[in-house]
Amino acid sequence: MVNRKRFTFLLMVVPALVLFFTFHTYPAIQGIFYSFTDYKGYGVWDFVGLKNYLNVFQDGRALSAYGFTFQFAIVSTVLVNIISLLIAIGLNANIKFRKTLRATYFLPYILSVLIVGYIFKFMFTHLLPQIGDALGIGFLSSNILGNPDLAWIGIVIVAVWQSTAFNTLLYLAGLSTIDQQVYEAADIDGAGSWAKFWKITFPLVAPFFTINMVVAMKNFLMAFDQIVALTGGGPGQVTESISLLIYRGGFQGGEFAYQSANAVIYFIVIVAISIIQLRVLERREVK
Amino acid sequence: MNKIAKGLLTVTLGTSLLLAGCGGGDGDGGNADGQVSLELFSNKSESIDTYKGLIEKFEEENPNIDIKLEAPPEAETVLKTRLTKDDLPDIMSIGGNATYGELARAGVFHDFSDSELVGKVQPSYVEMLGKLVGPDEEGTYGLPYATNANTVIYNKEKVEELGIEIPTNWDEFTQALETAKEAGETPIYFTLQEAWTAMSVWNGVAGNLVADDFAERKNAGEATFAEEYDEVADKMLELLDYGHKDNFGIGYGDGNNAFASGEGVFYIQGNWAIPEILKTNPDIELGTFALPSHDNAEENNLVSGVDVALAVSETTEHKEEALKFIEFMLSEETAQTYIDEQKAFSAVENVFQEDPVFEGIREHFEEGTLTSFVDHYYPAGMGTENLVQDFLIKKDKDAALETLDSEWDKVNDR
Amino acid sequence: MIGNKPNWKITILLMLGGLFILLPLYLTITIAFKTPQEMTGNLFALPESWSIANFLNAIEMTNFFQALGNSVFVTLITVILVLLTHSLVAYAIARNLHKKFYKFLYFYFISAMFIPFPIIMLPLVKQTSMWGMDNIIGLAILNAVMQLAFNVFIYVGFVKTIPKELEEAAIIDGANTWQVFWRIIFPLMKPMHATVAILTALAAWNDFMLPLVILSDSSQYTLPLVQYAFQGQFSTDYNLAFASYLMAMLPMIIIYIFAQKWIIGGVMRGSIK
Repeated sequence: MVNRKRFTFLLMVVPALVLFFTFHTYPAIQGIFYSFTDYKGYGVWDFVGLKNYLNVFQDGRALSAYGFTFQFAIVSTVLVNIISLLIAIGLNANIKFRKTLRATYFLPYILSVLIVGYIFKFMFTHLLPQIGDALGIGFLSSNILGNPDLAWIGIVIVAVWQSTAFNTLLYLAGLSTIDQQVYEAADIDGAGSWAKFWKITFPLVAPFFTINMVVAMKNFLMAFDQIVALTGGGPGQVTESISLLIYRGGFQGGEFAYQSANAVIYFIVIVAISIIQLRVLERREVK
Repeated sequence: MNKIAKGLLTVTLGTSLLLAGCGGGDGDGGNADGQVSLELFSNKSESIDTYKGLIEKFEEENPNIDIKLEAPPEAETVLKTRLTKDDLPDIMSIGGNATYGELARAGVFHDFSDSELVGKVQPSYVEMLGKLVGPDEEGTYGLPYATNANTVIYNKEKVEELGIEIPTNWDEFTQALETAKEAGETPIYFTLQEAWTAMSVWNGVAGNLVADDFAERKNAGEATFAEEYDEVADKMLELLDYGHKDNFGIGYGDGNNAFASGEGVFYIQGNWAIPEILKTNPDIELGTFALPSHDNAEENNLVSGVDVALAVSETTEHKEEALKFIEFMLSEETAQTYIDEQKAFSAVENVFQEDPVFEGIREHFEEGTLTSFVDHYYPAGMGTENLVQDFLIKKDKDAALETLDSEWDKVNDR
Repeated sequence: MIGNKPNWKITILLMLGGLFILLPLYLTITIAFKTPQEMTGNLFALPESWSIANFLNAIEMTNFFQALGNSVFVTLITVILVLLTHSLVAYAIARNLHKKFYKFLYFYFISAMFIPFPIIMLPLVKQTSMWGMDNIIGLAILNAVMQLAFNVFIYVGFVKTIPKELEEAAIIDGANTWQVFWRIIFPLMKPMHATVAILTALAAWNDFMLPLVILSDSSQYTLPLVQYAFQGQFSTDYNLAFASYLMAMLPMIIIYIFAQKWIIGGVMRGSIK
């Protein structure tokens, strides 16, 4: 009886294990394997040792992709978390039309990132310059996506517009776990709203803050869709994200092996960042 | 029990859907009634309508062959992905550039050497394609079909209004631009938001200034961009001074639109942009000339290359049918339709482009004063277009040429 | 914060913020109904006549209903696969976490959340194509594999909260483990199913990168991929393009309008767990 039960449990997980291994772990192992070769994606290959890895560190294009991706991810993560926390607090207050407003703010989450990107691209190309011209704001009067110093901001705007939706909801969930009596007690003690936020609200939503930071950061580090839609990596290569570089270089450039090495480094970076974030943010939580 | 029944139902439904889908997949390429389905892959979104028309005609003549056209964006990346997948389309209609050379070297194309089809096209363009493949592979892996011209397109009405003579050397060209600028017009309408459009300018300028064997010598380590592209870079920047206020904010589509509606006097683009411009404004009168980047009028040739090469997958299951389509394409009638609609030039013998818009460059074709696209010989993976775009933005000549040198070496070293 | 008087200051601020969310959608809708001639005027203006010509053109040009069918197919199969298999896996893991093998399995699966897709992309593309999976069925299976990490994570969390007594009682009544799962646990997981179904459906519906690299045949393209594929042909006909975008987003928007309470509730539930 016990054996049969054990067998049944095994039967429940083994198919998933096999599928997962075949379509996730096995390709990952292959990727790592090829990163030590000069494979182009077709034809013959040889082992080249660590050459690909060393080349990535000297590759200006790869380094600038890392630079851009980090700049974009950090700024977007911070902005998304600040804005969504503010919106969540607002939505949690005693307001009118709460349901409608909540539904509005969550709406971007259900839309395709790619399509939203195309819509914003139009706005940046045709609408914003019109407004910039009308108001006489110099830097707005031309398409910011065509300006190497500003193009990344356009991408941040789209990312924030879209990701705020999901994070707001997570914070709302966090806020809803806070007992109103805590605030009442604070009111009696004569605490101001600022003090209430830092002393009560923030510590209580801190676990959500941690998760949001990690999840948002990880998603932004993988940015692909919005960049394809908005700039295609340009102007020049200033907004080429790591994902886009691996896709383009790996297939178009016949750099299968080289980009595999890049992907391995990318993986290590993402894991390292996630761990650091969790450590740092959790330590703060305990305080 | 109800729940189990429900669960089972969903599983069965899912499985049957899966199986149904798989069944559909098996029929790929041919089925019982002798119907053959071929995939035609094209790298040009401009020619989709033309191809659709031609395919319809072909299918009428060959009712048992069904041709599916695929023309995705970033077509070269997609095609390389398909190569990695070992799943090349049956027929490919692609540009004669570095990617073509790489695919040919990978041995995935059918060799036309023994086919009589080779005799139907101009040998000089066959040679041009051969040069892309390199000396290590012998054979004819693609047939040149349409050729192009990298031109300066101009708005006839404006040029006449401004009293500009068609320039034949660099001085005259800059003077013409100056005249346009002084008259308050936008001399050149740039569309540099899309990096590849920078290459039309680059190829136009470099075509007459850089020696033909640059790529060969560069690969052998005997030449550098820093030494031989100095003048090219200078002249690129000079041209950029004659743009509009948002050179890097406008892309190709918007640019065609703007030029069609009368913005800009000159538009540095290939002949392929002409039908696009006419689509927006069928009444606009356009003219073309070769970009006169050399100071000496006699040295100014027209940059022309193989715009469309037709190739057949070596491993296709339906080679006979695929070759039949190629034969259809190479017929003089089809070739004429193609170049008329696409405003292109034909590599097929005895098929000529008579459109008056090309008055200004006809001479080059007749006298053979042609030169090739310099970037077709650059390695495919180095992302030249983005590097050139970046150069135009930052305007730092020395750094940009150095980057081009190092990127080239790096890609070759991989 | 407390008291019955609504806080109008915050309400108005939020409404202004909401405008910023709605503006791109407003533009999409109005531009989709306009003609190219109207594009030169005030972009915020309403269309002069609400013509559906753009939509008809877009439907024909992009073969909209085929793409819609593909998207629905992929999403549906993915959700069914995910609900049936991931809940099962999570149940087996949650009830055996004290055993080394299952504990390993748990961490093995959820560690995938940290593996960026690009690292497996290049080999995966080769592999799926070699096995004839470069189609929408393969895409659905891959979706299910990619979602496994997150779903197992939240399902396991939920199963842990289900008291074991229920199962024990059923076993005494003579039920085997399968029956216990399908009859007792699976129905009890209903709230989590809703969460998983919503998140999975949204991910599958809006996904772009995986379909882009997996699908070869354009007749199998999903809605987002079709928008990408037609960029060149839309070129500057923004009215046509926006009509196409709107139609691609519309199915989800309609579902959202009718089920927003349920969707938001489902997502929030997932985040508290």
